[in-house]
This record gives sequence, C-alpha cells and structure tokens, in this order.
Amino acid sequence: MSDALSEDGSDINQDDSQEDVMTPAELIDKLEQAWLNEKFSPELLENRSEVVECVMEQLTHMEANLQRVKKGDAKAGFHRMEIDRIRYVLSSYLRSRLQKIEKYFPHVLEREKSLVEGQPSLLSPEEFAFAKEYYANTETYLKAVALKRMPPNLQAVDMLKAVPEPSLDSFVFLRVKERQENILIEPETDEQRDFVVDLEEGSQHLMRYRIVAPLVSSGAVQLI
Amino acid sequence: MDTPSYFPVPPGVGMEDNFLSLDDILLSQERLPVRTECVFPRLGFLEKSSDSQDIQEGTKMELPLWLCKGLYEKKRKVLSVELPKIYKEGWRTVFTADPNVVDLHKMGPYYYGLGSQMLHFDSPENPDIAKTLLQTFIGRFRRTMDSSQNAYNEDTSVLVGRLDFLEKVLFKSGQSGLNGFQGWEKGQAAQLTASSLVLNYRKRKIVDIQS
Amino acid sequence: MDPSEVEFLAEKEFVKIIPNFSLDKIYLIGGDLGPFNPGLSVDVPVWLALNLKQRQKCRILPPEWMDVEKLEEIRELERKEDTFTPAPSPYYMELTKLLLNHASDNIPKADEIRTLVKDIWDTRVAKLRLSADSFIRQQEAHAQLDNLTLMEINTIREFLLDSLNCMYKLRSNLQPGATKGQFADY
Repeated sequence: MSDALSEDGSDINQDDSQEDVMTPAELIDKLEQAWLNEKFSPELLENRSEVVECVMEQLTHMEANLQRVKKGDAKAGFHRMEIDRIRYVLSSYLRSRLQKIEKYFPHVLEREKSLVEGQPSLLSPEEFAFAKEYYANTETYLKAVALKRMPPNLQAVDMLKAVPEPSLDSFVFLRVKERQENILIEPETDEQRDFVVDLEEGSQHLMRYRIVAPLVSSGAVQLI
Repeated sequence: MDTPSYFPVPPGVGMEDNFLSLDDILLSQERLPVRTECVFPRLGFLEKSSDSQDIQEGTKMELPLWLCKGLYEKKRKVLSVELPKIYKEGWRTVFTADPNVVDLHKMGPYYYGLGSQMLHFDSPENPDIAKTLLQTFIGRFRRTMDSSQNAYNEDTSVLVGRLDFLEKVLFKSGQSGLNGFQGWEKGQAAQLTASSLVLNYRKRKIVDIQS
Repeated sequence: MDPSEVEFLAEKEFVKIIPNFSLDKIYLIGGDLGPFNPGLSVDVPVWLALNLKQRQKCRILPPEWMDVEKLEEIRELERKEDTFTPAPSPYYMELTKLLLNHASDNIPKADEIRTLVKDIWDTRVAKLRLSADSFIRQQEAHAQLDNLTLMEINTIREFLLDSLNCMYKLRSNLQPGATKGQFADY
C-alpha cells in the first residue's frame, strides 16, 4: 500500500514533474509544511489542493485496507493512530485557511477577480464558493440589522475598505531550507541603513513577512 | 484547544481606523476640545451654556472625535481642534523623561489610538507627537512584557490598571501565551472539554424549544 | 499555535524502545517501522512509543541527552553564556514532559532531570525576553535565532508579533504622507 500514490499522482502533478516521484512520506511532509506556513503567514497562501487530494487518497486507501483486516490485528492499531494524526493536520490546515478567508474575504475575492490568465488561483473551488457565500451573507446581515434603517445615501458599505487587509509587514519566524544569498533588509528607522543577509540552510530568523513571501511560496523557507 | 467562534476586528492603531472594529468605534467617541471658526446656524440648542439660536464663531466646546474628523477641513476652516493636554509639550517632556511613571489608563485610556488620530488635524507639533507616541510605547514595552509573562495566576489588576488600552490588549496576548504554556505543562490540554460553540448551541436549542 | 500542537510535532521525533513482542515490519504512510523482536531495540516515533508503553508492550530508552551529567553541563553553559547555546534537542521541553509523565520508570533520576530541564528552560526564556526587549528598543529589522526551539518561540510569538505590529503602525505615523488619503470613506 505504500505506492498507492503513483497511480493517480501523474495527472494531478502534470505541471511539476518533480512531484511525480514523491513518496507518501514526502507527501505528508509537504502537508505539514503547508499547514505550518498557512498557520503563521499573515496572508492566505496559494491552495495546495494537489497535496490535499493525494493525502485524502492515501487515507481512503488505507482505511479501505483496514476494513479487510481481522479484529485484534496489532498493526491495524498503529495504522489507525497514524491516520488520526494525518487527519488532524489535514483538517487543521483546511480550517486555518477558512479562518483567513473569513477574516479577509473581500480582499481574497478581489484578488481572484484580478487574476491574469495563467496565474494560479489562491482558492480551491470549494473555498471560492465558501468565500462568495460568506461575502453575500455578511452583506445581507449588515443590511438586515443596520443598513436598511439608514438614510438612502448611507446604505452602502465598501467591504474592501471596511475589512482590514492582511498586513504583509508583520514579522514572522522562519527556518531556512535552501540557502539564500543577499536578502535585502530595509531599515526600520531613518537613522538605520539597509543591509543584506545570507540565509544559511537550517538557520532561523525573525523578519518581515514581505521580504520572504516569495521564498515561502517556493518552499525555500519554512515558517515556524 | 480553544478556538474562538468569532474573531473580532482589531483596532487600526495608527492613523487609519478599522470600520468594523468595536474598539475603534469606542475610540471615535472620545471628546476633543474645539473652537468653532464660523457660525453654526440654528444649532444653538446643542450648546447648553448660551441662549442664542446659533453657535457663534469662536465658541469653545467639546465634540467627539468622529464629528471633529467629519467637520474638519484644511482649506475652509470650520473648526480648530485643540490638543488634549496629554499630547502637549509639557506632558511630552514627562514621557521623554520616564514613560513608565505615567498612569496611561487614567490619562487615556486610548493614549496611542487617540494620539495617532490627532495627527489628522494639522498642527506644527504633529511630528513631535508622533515621535513621543512611538518612544513611549518602546519605553514601556519591557514592563508590559514582564508583567504579562510573570503574572500567572496572580491578581493582575494593579499591573493592568496603569496600562493604556492598546497595552492591555498586548498584555492579554502575553498572558494567553503564558497560560497556554503553563496549562500544557500541567497537562490540562490533555483533558478534552466541549467547545463553547457546542455548549452555546445546546443552550440555544433549549431556548428555541421553550419559546 | 497551541502548545499541544507543538507537542504533536515533537511526537514525530524518534526514540529507541525495547519491545516485548514480535511483529513484522509495518508500512505506515509516513515510512516503514520495525520489525519488532522481543529484547531488540528499535526506533519508533514518540507517539507510538508512548502508546506501546501505556499498553506495557515496551520499555523506552531515554534519548542520549536525557542524562543528569549532560544536562548539568548544558545548564552551566546556558547560565554562563549571554547568547542561546544549542538546545539539548529541538523538542527538549516537550520530550521531557512526555517521557517523564508516561515512562518515568524507564528513565533514571527522573526527578533530577525534570528540575534540570526546567532550570535550562527558565534561563533560556529569561534570555528570550531580554532579546525581545532589545529587538524592540533598537527597532531592529532582522534577528537570527538559530538555537531557539519551537516551544520557546511559541510562548512569546503572539505577544512579540502583536507588539511589533503596533510599533510598526506607530512608526508609520512619523510619515503621515505614506498612509492612504486623509479620512477613509466607507
């Protein structure tokens, strides 16, 4: 059952030939990285539907196998514990994305609208539906409890202005996975000057998310 | 694990305020001393101390921040806003000397928030106000941190009593980090409890049945 | 992040156990484990070790660093140095709690170890607060924190990041032109 991934992995990862050879263990690592990055990044990251789908397949496959196992098999217990752990990470990952969608829904939807041809969507189709519904419900609610009682010229609320944007200037803690040279750090005050740092593999840092955002999405650094 | 069912919109802190933040709405009610720079016709009833039908030019009165921001214009002077004394030079000197001695709750409680909002009104003192706000925050940081990290299971009212509103929010996030850790260390996290959402839902259902 | 989630991550660390049962190799999604033979040590993740231990199926061998002499050395070094020394393990706090709570009979001098680890933790957390204060005071833009563990970061994360955010906003007051427009209109 360890190579269950290969049958379906190929069509999902067309555009990234490296991932074709991902082992299930690497897949779980990927999920955990996505989970931690999503938990700690101030903005919503690009969805990792391909990872989520592969993990789901692994779990379904494993659970189907466990159905066939005799009662009292010692191995089955080990497998169930592992499944529970993976399931926890999976749902915590999806939940932290939903929380961010709720927090930043107008901006998330605005970004989807302004996607250039070929640019990947941040949201999975399910998340997109959720965001749209959340937007509509919020509007309806505001209208019902307050806006409809306002003078006609004050009945509109610009959600994009009313809901705060994610702050990319937030600081984050990170661990470097692939060495990076000459990362420019901008000064915080007028008295300071900008400077560059090299990020050595395995080193840990505290700095603004804005500087490392591209490295987070490429996987070169891991938020912690 | 405690996952709140509702995530309040945080205050804007700087010059921008957050429309959906309850804290910013409360802040916008803070009263500011103003002087009218033109006649406000037929609004005399708002100003209890005089009998005239209009509010005369040059009247000194207090207005809430939201109204001041709405009426204030750079080009056509409708009113001028005075600095509350805590942002004036005398107090700024006190803050520069030792920011920790000031009871910001008594003097504020929105010291940083209101101070940042004051920058919307043109004043030659604005750069100094902005600088003092930042330096005060930095100067008081250590104390806010130490009190929030050491006060596990202790009465925190005295510590918190002197903090500005914003510092209080930070104090709480420091405490929740500490409490979370101590709870984990004692093994409290291992005990499962029903989520507050579920509990409230059950209560609501009972109410629904009764009504 | 909830401390129990940090603990969850720590449970992935491997630890040696001596099983008292035999079982073929098992093929978990995350990798292969075993085979298990009575009396022969084998590496398993902590979550599995603790489960087996609770069912009295194994004895846990404490990690190498979980040793009074080694920890005393680390404690002295940690107290002497102003900077963070390398932690005994990236999950030293979590593993100490987990192993001592569930397998203290397999760990020699468990009480002394508990105290030593707590001393090391306290020293490090005090340093962490000092450096947080200096980071804020100097208004620094970057800090390298190689030897900090996730649990240590986690105790101060929310407070420090929120404070840095507030400070950032107060600092942007110094350049009022930088904010968008004078009054936001909703």
